Parts: sequence; structure tokens; C-alpha cells
Amino acid sequence: VFAAILCFVALEGVLFHTGLYSSIIEPDSSTGYMELQLRNEIRRPKPNRNQVLAVGHSRMALLPRVVNQETSNQGQRGTGYTFASIGLGGTTPRIWYYALRALDPTARNYAAIVIPTDDFNEPDTYDYQSEREPDLHYLIARLGFRDLMEFPWTYRSRKLQWVTFRGIILKGFVYKRDFLEFLDHPLARIAKARYVDTDSAGWYYGYGGVDQNLAGLRIDWQHKTMQFPDRIPENERKQIEGTVFQPLPPDEGRETAYLSYWYGKIIEHYRGSGTKLIFMRVPRAPTSPPDPAPKPDSAIRQIASQPDVIVLDEHLFDQLEHPDLFWDAQHLNRPGMEQFSKILAAEVRRVLGPPKP
Amino acid sequence: MLFNTPQFFAFLAIVLILFYSAPRVLRKYILLAASYFFYMSFIPKFILLLLSLTAIDYTAARWIARTRSPHARKAALVISLSANLGLLGFFKYYNFFAANIAHLFHKPSDAFALSIILPLGISFHTFQSMSYVIDVYRNEQQPITNPIDYALFISFFPQLVAGPIVRAREFFGDLYHWKRPSSDDVLRGLLLLLLGLAKKMVMADQFAQIANGYFQDMSKHPGAVPAWSAVIAFGIQIYFDFSGYTDMAIGMAKLLGFHFPVNFRRPYLASSITDFWHRWHISLSRWLRDYLYIPLGGNRHGRLETYRNLMLTMLLGGMWHGASWNFLVWGGYHGALLSLERMFRRKNAPEGSSWTALYPLKAVITFALVMIGWVFFRAATFHDSLYVLHQMFFVLHGRQLIPSWLKDLALITLLLALFEEKKEWFEKIAIGPAWAYGAVCAILLLSVELIGYTEAAVPFVYFQF
Repeated sequence: VFAAILCFVALEGVLFHTGLYSSIIEPDSSTGYMELQLRNEIRRPKPNRNQVLAVGHSRMALLPRVVNQETSNQGQRGTGYTFASIGLGGTTPRIWYYALRALDPTARNYAAIVIPTDDFNEPDTYDYQSEREPDLHYLIARLGFRDLMEFPWTYRSRKLQWVTFRGIILKGFVYKRDFLEFLDHPLARIAKARYVDTDSAGWYYGYGGVDQNLAGLRIDWQHKTMQFPDRIPENERKQIEGTVFQPLPPDEGRETAYLSYWYGKIIEHYRGSGTKLIFMRVPRAPTSPPDPAPKPDSAIRQIASQPDVIVLDEHLFDQLEHPDLFWDAQHLNRPGMEQFSKILAAEVRRVLGPPKP
Repeated sequence: MLFNTPQFFAFLAIVLILFYSAPRVLRKYILLAASYFFYMSFIPKFILLLLSLTAIDYTAARWIARTRSPHARKAALVISLSANLGLLGFFKYYNFFAANIAHLFHKPSDAFALSIILPLGISFHTFQSMSYVIDVYRNEQQPITNPIDYALFISFFPQLVAGPIVRAREFFGDLYHWKRPSSDDVLRGLLLLLLGLAKKMVMADQFAQIANGYFQDMSKHPGAVPAWSAVIAFGIQIYFDFSGYTDMAIGMAKLLGFHFPVNFRRPYLASSITDFWHRWHISLSRWLRDYLYIPLGGNRHGRLETYRNLMLTMLLGGMWHGASWNFLVWGGYHGALLSLERMFRRKNAPEGSSWTALYPLKAVITFALVMIGWVFFRAATFHDSLYVLHQMFFVLHGRQLIPSWLKDLALITLLLALFEEKKEWFEKIAIGPAWAYGAVCAILLLSVELIGYTEAAVPFVYFQF
């Protein structure tokens, strides 16, 4: 029986706790995409500490190519900082913390980390970020036994606590779907994983965004109605309306509690390291929604006074909240992303001051 | 509390700890309490039914043994059988007959229907109970004097819900001459427990996804290829589901110092339908043979009566599985095949598999015939069965439904089954070197973790019978 346990622990450990399996994971899966981003960022040469890394979800539309090219083209007239991004659709502050821990374990690689927030008032939504099971899938390759005492217990649901606890110990449960797909075409998978691993670094930074726009869209925030230009099909209209006028539950402070915890973890990781943590609000919608009364005890307002934390002006990107610069209810299009990148880079340069030699 | 849940394994661990830490005299009480707790974890109120049947059969057997009057003995037997068959009939068959009577009188099918929930394992524990009373009546079994012992025989949790159907002499032999299991038996028990779990979660539940997907809406997958692949998927599902459950039951019993009879011997390697029934659900086949086929006359009164007896036995065997025309047809189909085989079999021809040159062909034909039978077993209605059979034989196109990794897995299990048939690898591993035992257990655990269906705990197919 002891031999059985020993054999199982050895097999499980070698396969899933060493990075062996994560090296052949499907690159188009959440784990695969996350790993690819992290590996590419770890490999990216960083000749000095004048590196600015942006984390975030799909609305974090920083185009490092735009601001870095400007730097190299204009020499000293650029920002002087090298921008990088690991923005990834569907990720949350919990994921950003573990990603930063993996990328910068000693907290010495970056001059600043840019962290987005959707709303300084942090209203609760029906999609509670604390209960997102996909977080486990994004992070599974980076979670280890040391996280057993924390990660599972950041979920409220007992079921998710159990699923994440079990998943960290027995990672095969989390890799299951990927493994079954791997069994279907193992050689093709290995070839794809290798190809993407060696060639993908440029793809991400080469991405320019979507060219469509919502020009002509009008939003009446007071009456919750929209006027669409004729070219927008019915299904897209419904989707945009559903997102913009998303119903919210009564605010119980769950979102704020969640953000306080994970912003706090990131701040703690970088405490005393000299790395600045720059928080900013992303452009919210194709037209600026009305500003509700500020919630003074929101997480973002509470951390603003902490050392090395910089909270950018809440209205910095209001000018980008225009239908010409959005391609759907939440995401900037190509011109929007370019303008966003330039404004953000300039603001980061302003708050950081000149790069260190 | 299904066998394939963490809760059950926690329950089993607690039972084992309590059982082995308690003084010997208390152990059967612990097993009985655990068994009733297990039974009540499903639908608690049915414990009254289990207790009532236990009391009736215990009393009837004691009465039969005590009285000398043949009439009184017969009366006690009839009371016992009536109680068992009456309750089984009411819970399992009432709505079936009610629907058919309603149909006869041109009324809606639910005109006389009642809202009945089938008590868990009723088909198994009533058959086990009846076999005991009949054995006492035949003077083949001494009546059990201690009601606790008898209650444990009926309710013993490893086999309460879906067998194997254990004979009284087998069970009480173990109970009255209980010996602490040897280390080899513990290793066998653990390996069986793990093998059963892997059979259920890796094979049965994964193939169930294919079969369920097809049978839920057959019109989505027209053609012979999807029909055959879904039927084969169901054939694989039901075998691994039921034999997985049985392996776990036998394994648990071994850990507690009890020995259950073998219930499956690689039935899909059978070279004839007769051979199949010597390998499939052996404890039920044995019950039907001893308490139905032989009392009907068996093969002692000429060919025609033998065919009639086979047919009746298989029809009742089909009905045992459930109240529907499909099960009746399934039983009749097997009865007809058994009769045909007997009709064309040469005198003195062996009934089991013989590894001749023709064996692969015979095995493939038998497998195909069994799969055709499963159509009636799985389809929701008789009309659906006919539709699937039509697709299988007359609509020659379509795309197969089984992904390649599942086919590879099925092939590996076929090779393992062939190897077990000739070389008995299971026994060699169970008592072999520690590294081999450890490696096999590790692979089984890893397969449950990586390939096992864990979205939800899927109930065992035979729990519904």
C-alpha cells in the first residue's frame, strides 16, 4: 500500500508539479495562454529596471508596441521606459497577483506595475469575482503546495474551496479536459505547443486591435435607452444593451472586500521594493456614464495613500469614452487602443519621473 | 451515498476503523448499524420496508424449521414469498400493469398510476431473502436463530444495493467463522476497490456520455455508424458500471473479512450466448437457475420443455430488471438465442470458451448479438428500440461517436481482459512484488484523476433495479 501511494505521488508529482505537462498544454486554453504570456515575459530581455508592466483583463488595451516604438524612434523624446503587458481576457486581480509573483518573485524587475480597475466605486455585480472557478485554471501551473493555506480559502463557496484545494494537490483533476484532448492527438499537440512556445512572443505585441467602431451610437443613461446606427445587427444591439445596462445587485461591499484583499496582496509583495504600483480606471463605455456619488471606503480610495501606490486621475481616460473608439460595449478599437496607450505611457512617465540611468 | 463519492470513502474508512478497533463481539452490531445508516442515506423511510421484510423472512424461516406439518411449512413459505414478491410487485410493477390496463380500456396511460418511488436495492435484497427461506424450506440451510445475524445478511452494505446476490451459507460461513483477513486479502481487497472505482469512473462514466448523448435524441445522429457506436458505448458502459460496482463490493467485503462470489468473468470474451450467461451477472444467473429454471424442470423433460423453461426463465430475468416491455423483449431475445444455441449445439460440445481458430469469430458474433440485445435495455421505449435497430441495419451511413482516445482505452482493456483470461494478471499483481502492486495502483489512481468523469457522481446503472 505504501508502494502504491509512493508510486502515485511520484507519477503525479513528475507530471504536474514539475512543469512537464504545462509545457505541452493546449496553447489556446486558459492555462496555456496564461503560461505563454508568463513564459514570454520571463524570457523578454530586461537590460535595466526601467520596465513598466501592465497587468489586466481584456479591457486593459495597452499596446506596448505603440509606446515602445515611439521611444526607439524618438530617442530621449520618448518615455524612456520599456512597456510590456500581460493583459489577458477573463483574468481578475487574484490572477494578477499570482502572475506577478511568478514574473517578479524578488520584486526587483520593474519600475512600475500598471493595474486597471473598472470603476472606482466598485459596485457589486452578479458575477462575483471571488467565486470564479476559471481562476484556478488560469493559475494551475503556478500554484503549489505553499498556496494550499490561502488560495482555496479566498473562495466563499464550500464547493469551490474543495475543488481548488483538491486541484492544487491533485492537478490532474484540473488538467483533465486538456489531457483528454491531448490523448486524441498527442503528437499534433506537442508540435503545436512547441511551435507556439518558440514563435508566439511577437504575435501578442504585433496585435493591433479591431477596426470596427460604434460611430453613431447614442446612449440615454437616464432612461436606459440606446439609439444604434443602422449597420449594427440586432444580436449585437442586444449584447451591447445587456452589457451597458447590466443590472446590479444591492451593494454589500463584496467587490470592495475582494479588491482590498488582492490589491493588498500585490502591495504587500512590492512593499519596500521601490516598484511603483499605478492604479487607473479603464475607459468604461462608448459614451461616458454619469458619475455616481463617490464611495469613500472603496478599495482603490483606501489604498491611494499607501507608499509607492499611485492612483491616476479617475477621469484621465474619459475623452476615450466615445463610440468612434469602441468596437463593442466594453472594448476599445484600434484607434482607441493607440490613443489609450499613448495617454497611459505619457502619464506613467509623468508620475514616475525620468528613467534611472 | 454512492460508492463513487468522497463521502462514501470517508464512511468506509470510519466503518473499518470502528470494526477493527471494537471487541469482536460488537463487530456485527457495528456492521449492521453502518449498513442501516448507509441504506438510510438514500431514502430513510424505506428502512421500515427493509426491517419488515427482514422480520417476516426471519420468522417464516424459523417457523418452517420448527414445524413438522408440510402444510404449515408450505404456508410459511408462501407467506414469505408473497410478502417479498408482493412488495416487489407493487413497487416495481404496479405502474407498468396500471398503464397497460389503462391502455386496454382506452384511457390515458397514467389513469391508474400511482406516484411510486422504487426502494433502493429491492430487487436484490428480496431475491437474497427469498433464496434463504427457500433453502430452509428445502432443508439445505439451517434457520438463523439470531435476528441480528439475519438482519446483517439482508442489509450488509457492500452488496445491499446492487448485489452480488449472496447465498446464506456463503455469508454465514464467513460470519460464524470470521477470520481477520490475511495481508494478501487486504491487498486484493484494496486493489479490487480501486479497480472497481476506475472501471466506473474511467470507463463506464465516459462511455455513458456517448450513449446518453445518442439515446437522448437519436434523430440528431442518423445512420448505422452512430447507432452501432452508441450501442457499443452503452454495452461498455453497463459492463464496466456493474462490474465496477461488484468489484468494489467484493473488495470492501474482503477488507471486512467476508468473501462474495464472483459476479462477472469477462463476459464480452464469451464465445456463445450460453457462455455469456455463465460470465454475466453470475449471482443472478445462478439464482434464476436454482430457484426457477431447475424447479420448472430444467432440461430434464425433453427439448421442447427445455426451450420453454429457458424462455420463461429469461423472460422473468428480463422483467426482474424493470417493468417495461423492453426488458421483457430483452429477456425473450436472450431466451430465444439460448434456445437456438441449444437446438443447434452438438451433443457433448463444451459450453465455455475454447481457444480454437474459430474462437475470434464466435466471440465477435456473440458480442454483436449481445449488443443488439442492449438496444432494448437502453432505449426508452419499444418504438425507440425499433428505430435504433432500423438505423443499425438499414441506414448505412453516419459518423461514429466515440473519440479516438476512448477507442484506445477500450482496446487496452480488451487486451487486459484477454491477458487476465489466460494469465490471471490480477492475482499475480495482488500477491506479487510491492513495486508492481504499487505501479498498478498508481496507474489506476492516476487514471481516475485524469480520465475519470468527475463533473458529477454518476449513479450506478443497477441502482435503479
